[in-house]
Amino acid sequence: MAFLLRNISYSADGRQIVRSSRVSDDLLKVGRDPDCDICLNDLAVALHHATLEQISSTRVGVSAEAGLTIDIDGSVTQFGQIDVTIGGVIGVGPFQLRVLPQEMGSDDIAIDVERAPDEEAEAKFDTRRFALSAAMPGKRPIAWALVLVVLAAFLAWPIYAYYRQQPGEAEYASGFHGDRLWLSGSLSEGHAALGNNCRACHVEAFESVQDAACTACHTQVHDHADARRMQLARPQVGGFERFQLAVGSLFGLEAGRCVDCHTEHEGPQEMAPTPQQFCSDCHADLDARLPDTRLGNAADFERSHPEFQPMVLVRWEGDRPLMRRVPLDRRPRESSNLKFPHALHLDPNGGVAQMGRRLAATYGFGQRLECADCHVPTPDGVRFAPPNMEGDCAMCHSLAFEASDGTVRTLRHGEPGQVVADVRAFYRAGLRQRPADLGTPRSRPGDVNQARAALQSARATQLTGQRADVAVRALFAQGGACFDCHEVTSAPGGSLAYGIRPVAFPSRYMLHGWFDHRAHQIVQRPGQRQLEGSAACLSCHRADASSDAADLLLPAMASCRDCHGGETSSLPVESTCAMCHDYHMDEGVPAMLLRQQVRGRRWTTTVIPVQPQPSPPGQQQRQRGQAPARAR
Amino acid sequence: MATRGFDRADVGDSVAHEGFLRYRRFRWFKTALLIGLAVILIYLLVDVQPRHNGGSWLGYTLGSIGFALIVWLAMLGIRKRAITRGRWSLKAWTSAHVYLGLALIVIGTLHTGFQFGWNVHTLAYVLMMVVILSGAYGISVYAMLPQGLSDARSEMTGPQMIDAINTLDKQIQGAAQPLSDADSEVVLGSLGEDPFGGGVWRRLSGSYPRCGNRRALQIMRGRLAEATGKPAGAIEQVVTLLERKAAALQRVRNYVQRRALLEIWLYVHVPLTFVLIVALIVHVVSVFFYW
Repeated sequence: MAFLLRNISYSADGRQIVRSSRVSDDLLKVGRDPDCDICLNDLAVALHHATLEQISSTRVGVSAEAGLTIDIDGSVTQFGQIDVTIGGVIGVGPFQLRVLPQEMGSDDIAIDVERAPDEEAEAKFDTRRFALSAAMPGKRPIAWALVLVVLAAFLAWPIYAYYRQQPGEAEYASGFHGDRLWLSGSLSEGHAALGNNCRACHVEAFESVQDAACTACHTQVHDHADARRMQLARPQVGGFERFQLAVGSLFGLEAGRCVDCHTEHEGPQEMAPTPQQFCSDCHADLDARLPDTRLGNAADFERSHPEFQPMVLVRWEGDRPLMRRVPLDRRPRESSNLKFPHALHLDPNGGVAQMGRRLAATYGFGQRLECADCHVPTPDGVRFAPPNMEGDCAMCHSLAFEASDGTVRTLRHGEPGQVVADVRAFYRAGLRQRPADLGTPRSRPGDVNQARAALQSARATQLTGQRADVAVRALFAQGGACFDCHEVTSAPGGSLAYGIRPVAFPSRYMLHGWFDHRAHQIVQRPGQRQLEGSAACLSCHRADASSDAADLLLPAMASCRDCHGGETSSLPVESTCAMCHDYHMDEGVPAMLLRQQVRGRRWTTTVIPVQPQPSPPGQQQRQRGQAPARAR
Repeated sequence: MATRGFDRADVGDSVAHEGFLRYRRFRWFKTALLIGLAVILIYLLVDVQPRHNGGSWLGYTLGSIGFALIVWLAMLGIRKRAITRGRWSLKAWTSAHVYLGLALIVIGTLHTGFQFGWNVHTLAYVLMMVVILSGAYGISVYAMLPQGLSDARSEMTGPQMIDAINTLDKQIQGAAQPLSDADSEVVLGSLGEDPFGGGVWRRLSGSYPRCGNRRALQIMRGRLAEATGKPAGAIEQVVTLLERKAAALQRVRNYVQRRALLEIWLYVHVPLTFVLIVALIVHVVSVFFYW
């Protein structure tokens, strides 16, 4: 028996070269070593790699050397057998030893030795692998994958989140929702809580934010004016602005929506102070487009602003006061039904000052009366409470008529009938015990004495009645306590039914503008010295020159213009419209001033910035009244 | 391949040839510069309350211009397949692509009003910037690398470089036959080394720390120092061959690295352009959805 070896190789042009040899042995050494029976020239083959041995007439055993492996019919192993009647393949390194099926009647075992085609090596040396594309996924798969990610995360998810929410759903505020990926910027601080609730404002898809979404929560804010009139009042814009409006309207952005001014998604931004132009665009020549308007044209406080038109109590219809708005340049007279000469009270040398000094210990008056001695600011310090008889006038103007055991009895203020009754009672009561004492203690008993006593008593009572009437008439007549300050209606037909005309003051003269007295406690006009207290008051309200309560002591615009100019003025206080007027509200502090105050930039006067006040509100109010009048 | 549209000589300083960067004495560079400056000037002059943003009239205008420009810039992918001459030549188009693409940085950035966040809007902006910057990178490598590319090849073609390694492998195979099993195991490490092995990062960095050839060379040098007699001759021969293979591998890998550096930007620039266009569409849809 023998092994028939056929060594198969290929020439460069693919021609097969077969070298045959015959080994007459039942043992074959396979390896790289030239001494081996089957010499395989490859480093992947060990010097002595494996041994083939015929173990029976039909079987060949194959064993690898220690630590090495061979491949028998596709399975890697160290030992194995091959049935020579069937044949088999032994892999050693890159070589294949094909044991061919034994031919009938032959003892020889034929083995083809061939180097397996090395596909891997071919791939390894593919010159296309120089390009980066060999190591990268294609551009197209990359693009598709990322496009799908973007579409899923940034389009599908947010739209799903939108349709999952019902408008006005409250619980929706919690958790993360896909449409947050569309949030173009954080919301203003006031709306921060809505950051998760896009549908609160964006109610319908592809529809611009409507005012209704704002007024759903902001129920107290009213429009600036009637929408139709505002439309008329708007100036004709040309060129670019007109184009802008047209484009906006094309995309459903109608002019005049809340969000035009109240922009959102700009982060915790401060709303810019309203520029003067915002108002003057319409108001500079409003009468040209709205001929029936009762508002004067206004463009700049310094140069173009109608004179103040305070609400004045012009006259009375019976007991009903009639209020009218009258421009200050028409010198309106106020009909308060009160008599009060301011000049007399403020005269530093007069009797009033003298009396004040006498009462200084009780009421804390100074050398003369100050405005603050009588005028009490409202708790917010913005305005003044109407003067009040009991608290303000009665310090000097006493209604006392009797001292009884240290208690002073006063006439009832505001109730003339009661006054008459009280005076009469006083005179009567003063003689009440008299009838018993009329006669002498030792009078003789008898009718004559009694009759005389009765007569004398009656005469005395009658006289006291007359004296009471005289006193009452004196009260209501010129020089009397009532007449001095009030308009008295005369008593009909010798009776004592005197009346007092009702007294009234407007609680607010300027209904559409804002003036804060607190901000003007210290006044310094350009080029003049700083004024405080009464001097500051009198620099605007010329009370020291007024001897008639009918004088309306409101300062004219010229007085304001000493300090306040327009937006671009050289005067100390550049005042835009928004300093006194609010776009939305007619009462209360204009939003611009509120915002300034919140941001700590509010000035109480032109010289003193607001200091942060740590004390609680109640205490603040007490501190604010530093005037001597507080001593009361 | 996308790079075929560019002629490498384009960017060179050739007397006879005017590259796309210098096309018509930097016509498009000047145009782009003018556009950029004009947009900056308008941005500074226009008072948008409360602050600049994409939703002002200027924001919408810049956004629309930017979108149109991006779509036009992306058209180069189609346009480059037709090489033509004249005013609308591919060269003119490419020149405009480069410089208007750079002007897009100004237009896009000012469109944002410098307001960024974790949202689809900023995503689109970031994608745009990545696409532009990858393009700028592409231009710069096209200007600088090709010279080194032919240096790296030492005047050899790709197949020549591969053949050199192949031949060396055969020689090593032959020379190593007498070596012991342990030594042949080591040499096998060199033969098994794939010159192109490793991923993108290997190619870009040109660093192959676990190179089988290098390790084999290292060990075989050690063996050479110890060996005596007949095996020493074989080992010495193998070491010489391994050294030559190291040089051949280095040559291939230098070339591969330069190719990678030259081509990598397209794997960012091209796919992200499509992602950018989709992100832009989503950006616009989202703006109108929550209008």
